[in-house]
Amino acid sequence: MADEDNGSNLQQFKEGVLSNNPVLVQLLGMCPTLAVTNSVENALVMGAAATFVVVMSNLITSALRNLIKPHVRILIFTLTIATFVTIADLTLKAFMYKVSLQLGAFIPLIIVNCMIICRAEVVAIKNGVGRSLADAFGIGIGFTLALLILGVVREWLGSGTITFPFADPISVMPAAFTANGHNWIIMILPPGAFLTLGVVVGISNQIRARREKGGAA
Amino acid sequence: MSFGGLIAIFLGVALVNNLVFQGFLGICPFLGVSRKVDMAFGMGCAVTFVITVSGVVTWLIVHAVLTPIGGAIGHTEALYFLKYVAFIMVIASMVQLVEMYLRKFFPGLYTAFGVFLPLITTNCAILGTCLYIDMKPETQHLLNAAVYAFGGGIGFLVAITIMAGIREHIRFSDVPKCLQGAGITLLVAAILALAFTGFTGIGK
Amino acid sequence: MKKFVDESWLVLAMGVVFAALLAATHTGLNDRIKANEVEALNQAIEEVVPGVETKEQIEIEETGAGDETAVYKCLDADGNLVGWAVQAAGPGFIDKITLVAGLSREGDRLTGIKPIKHTETPGLGNKIDVKDELNFYPLQYAGRSTAAPFELFKERVRDAKDTNRIEAITGATYSSQYVMEIVNDVITRIRPQLAEHR
Repeated sequence: MADEDNGSNLQQFKEGVLSNNPVLVQLLGMCPTLAVTNSVENALVMGAAATFVVVMSNLITSALRNLIKPHVRILIFTLTIATFVTIADLTLKAFMYKVSLQLGAFIPLIIVNCMIICRAEVVAIKNGVGRSLADAFGIGIGFTLALLILGVVREWLGSGTITFPFADPISVMPAAFTANGHNWIIMILPPGAFLTLGVVVGISNQIRARREKGGAA
Repeated sequence: MSFGGLIAIFLGVALVNNLVFQGFLGICPFLGVSRKVDMAFGMGCAVTFVITVSGVVTWLIVHAVLTPIGGAIGHTEALYFLKYVAFIMVIASMVQLVEMYLRKFFPGLYTAFGVFLPLITTNCAILGTCLYIDMKPETQHLLNAAVYAFGGGIGFLVAITIMAGIREHIRFSDVPKCLQGAGITLLVAAILALAFTGFTGIGK
Repeated sequence: MKKFVDESWLVLAMGVVFAALLAATHTGLNDRIKANEVEALNQAIEEVVPGVETKEQIEIEETGAGDETAVYKCLDADGNLVGWAVQAAGPGFIDKITLVAGLSREGDRLTGIKPIKHTETPGLGNKIDVKDELNFYPLQYAGRSTAAPFELFKERVRDAKDTNRIEAITGATYSSQYVMEIVNDVITRIRPQLAEHR
């Protein structure tokens, strides 16, 4: 992780997306990653909602950082996050009703997504607004990216479709795949979720290890 | 509600709809604290305690505070948008209480847990259970809600302890480097989730 | 006391500001959220009762466990009765399932069902809701007789139009069962009360 004095905002952003990806590298935010990646639509909407919350949380924490006393900081972080998650939840229910029903309890569960409170504690409380926002966007996009990868794999193999928000499902497998249940339902069920995430984490670790070896050599 | 009904609720959430393997809750501690059986069991007990108390308190907040106040101003569901904030505040306070209690009476355990104790607040299993108790029709009675919360905690305890037992054995296996740690844990969890699917049907 | 205020004034101030923010958001969006629910209901009614132009809600005496039951008399443009729509709810696998069941004018046949609110497992239980013609489950109810309660089977009985056998969704037996129980409740409890409102 770049330390706060050197490195630019752009670097902070890039780290959040790739080398410090919240799901694949830091292994945070696992619960929604497993639960809502059964379709691309759910994955993208969850990613967007989480990005909104982490951006607002970092923004407010950073703007008020000189006023926040150490003893109450966790309380303040939690209050801020819970408020913006509620706003996101109400907005989703108003404008994307069907998706909000599909995501169920996982939107409020953004409150306890460890990655958000982690960014407030590690970055926003010590840095200016610009750096904190770059970090928030990086983490948010990194999270969405990880969810998207899982969502594509699970929906493709599990339902034979890809569904984008505001659109109908697009069939990406030949009809014979989904007829009579030949689609790999297990990918949509919990075992498939664990399996896909395990494989993706393994692959990403392998890529990182290769890159480090290449860099060191 | 009949005793049989309560048993059905308990088994339903502890086994059939296990919070970890079916509900995708509590995954972060499940991956993080399942390295050794004694830590896993301790975490499971702490979580069970916090879940049960939080489940009851949040039930009371909804039914004994938010709903009556809403009723008084004419619209029962008026104050429901404060639910999430109220729930997380309760959970954070409960964890704080547990922390203070352990520090005073069980200092050894307190040091052993270290940073994982405050992290119980971010255990989605706790907030998730409180939210489900609020949503489900069968937990609209306090006793049912308490049994459900307790069952959820026990389910988490069982899941994390089994995983710890398996991981202690895996230490001696030849896991590919890229899968060590989280990777292999997730793959094992996949198999366990498959196994727990066998419980569907109990409770009917 | 000063120390307490010193430490926590920000928390209290933020608490107040955030509560106001939430209240404002809620007030602003609530109408829209309610409208979404009403629209889902109306769309469902249009789908299950062909020919409906307007609907009138009627009062029925016995409400059962789900007090969300609402019964609508469906009329065409000339005010003639074309059918009935019943909104009913019951427990589901995760949370409540709310659906609309359409009944024919005489009440002797189902014209269709449409779940409007549910949180069933995506990819499995949520096939109780029609998204495309691959989902057979809700479609099989259309045209069935309401003479006897339905029973769930795992074999392929979806086309057996003259029986009370309902085929379950593979891998979603519970969700299939719960929806069927709501429909059974409609045909046993609600349907007999429709005659007096004709």
